[in-house]
Amino acid sequence: MSSISELYDVSWEEMRDKLRKWREENYRNSEQIVDVGEELINEHASKLGDDIWIIYEQVMIAALDCSRDDLAWSCLQELKRQFPDSHRVKRLAGMRLEALERYEDANKLYDSILQDDPTNTAARKRKISILRAQGKSSEAIRELNEYLEQFVGDQEAWHELSELYINEHDYAKAAFCLEELMMTNPHNHLYCEQYAEVKYTQGGLENLELARKYFAQALKLNNRNMRALFGLYMGLFATSHQPYTPQNPEAQGFAARNRDEVDCVQLKFQHIHGEGLSC
Amino acid sequence: MAHLLLDSSIRLWVVLPIVFITFFVGILRHYVTQLIHNDKKVDLQQVSDSQVLLRSRILRENGKYLPKQSFAMRKHYFNNPDTGFFKKVKRKVIPKNPMTDPSTLTDMMKGNLTNVLPMILIGGWINWAFSGFVTTKVPFPLTLRFKPMLQRGIELISLDASWVSSASWYFLNVFGLRSMYTLILGQDNAADQSRIMQDQMTGAAMAMPPDPNKAFKSEWEALEIVEHKWALENVEEELMCQDLNFRGLFI
Repeated sequence: MSSISELYDVSWEEMRDKLRKWREENYRNSEQIVDVGEELINEHASKLGDDIWIIYEQVMIAALDCSRDDLAWSCLQELKRQFPDSHRVKRLAGMRLEALERYEDANKLYDSILQDDPTNTAARKRKISILRAQGKSSEAIRELNEYLEQFVGDQEAWHELSELYINEHDYAKAAFCLEELMMTNPHNHLYCEQYAEVKYTQGGLENLELARKYFAQALKLNNRNMRALFGLYMGLFATSHQPYTPQNPEAQGFAARNRDEVDCVQLKFQHIHGEGLSC
Repeated sequence: MAHLLLDSSIRLWVVLPIVFITFFVGILRHYVTQLIHNDKKVDLQQVSDSQVLLRSRILRENGKYLPKQSFAMRKHYFNNPDTGFFKKVKRKVIPKNPMTDPSTLTDMMKGNLTNVLPMILIGGWINWAFSGFVTTKVPFPLTLRFKPMLQRGIELISLDASWVSSASWYFLNVFGLRSMYTLILGQDNAADQSRIMQDQMTGAAMAMPPDPNKAFKSEWEALEIVEHKWALENVEEELMCQDLNFRGLFI
């Protein structure tokens, strides 16, 4: 089996830089990380200097993803030897226990970290993910709510909570979480689009109109977002068919305008469709 | 204006050594500070409070991207007269007396030791060692009021205030080498004296103001006056008006 550097003709510096890029941009290509990282660790450990510790951490998490317990164990040993009292290393040990499905031991480990340092967010989040892995979603939701009461600014947690609520079909609360995310990242078209989808799923005239607006906003932020375009189309279609009711005298005006917009969007769709067909 | 020609050995033996001394003492101070620095223990309550304040601030700034109802809900949560967060939550604040609280006392002492003391010592030594002659000339004219300050050890009444002694060259260096430190030691280095002095002047420079109640009150006021103007009012019309540039997107 030839090594990565032979297969792709890259030097060890390029491999290290690639790992750094994956680390900074939060890629989850675990198999690639394991291949590249393992070779770096085995062949070029001395040349890496102090970078090696963070590479150990990155490779260990990727190894847990690929069920490579041998590699994970060896990385953990090296890290433990270098940083004996570190909370970060303890968290990695806990993650390994989680991967082996020894949830009780992992929980005990995280509790010990929290006793030492109550502000440690990583340990808390791991405990919640244990609950999620065990399928106890209502408890996971409760714990996550408590966590968010204390750490209101944690965006990863808000996103996780919105996913949990969507799985439970509690769309109102999922919309709330997504609103938090939209508030902190107003220029992220993906949050707008997800929020619009949740609103669309909730249904009802007001929600459909909100959904349309947010799909339009997502398109404005990024005009390549196909899901948003499709969502906008469906939203326009749905609202244009709403009947005129006495409570909502504007609905007819809306309906007329909507039909124009539906035609507009349809034209654009056909345009893409046509271009797509021509390829 | 009097044109003085200074001996070039002044340049060699005074100006440059002072630059080097200041520079290396600064670097030394940076490493010593790192060695005797101990991590500040953060309180969970403080972290939580600072995040809540951040959230409220973001609500004020970016609330216009949320639907009216959601914005009203959040504003209500914070500002409701009976149950609002900023109205209801009062943190018990123990005023930390800087004299008696041991941790702040040691911090202050360490700060003084690493920053003020070397400056005084070295300033005094330079004043003693390099006294009695003119070191350099500042490029802009100064008034006579500056003479006693900048011309220590030079007793000439008719000399322009622009000609300064070595002590003032030393102080010039202390502030001027700040950007050099940033270049070499990276941002946020402990050799940056002027920043530390700034911190001392603005009072307690801690992660959270010691009085969260005051912060809450000011945040409450700010949130009260903010109005919700929905940014997405006309987004659909705007979208329809502009060309979405699909050409060439799908090959």
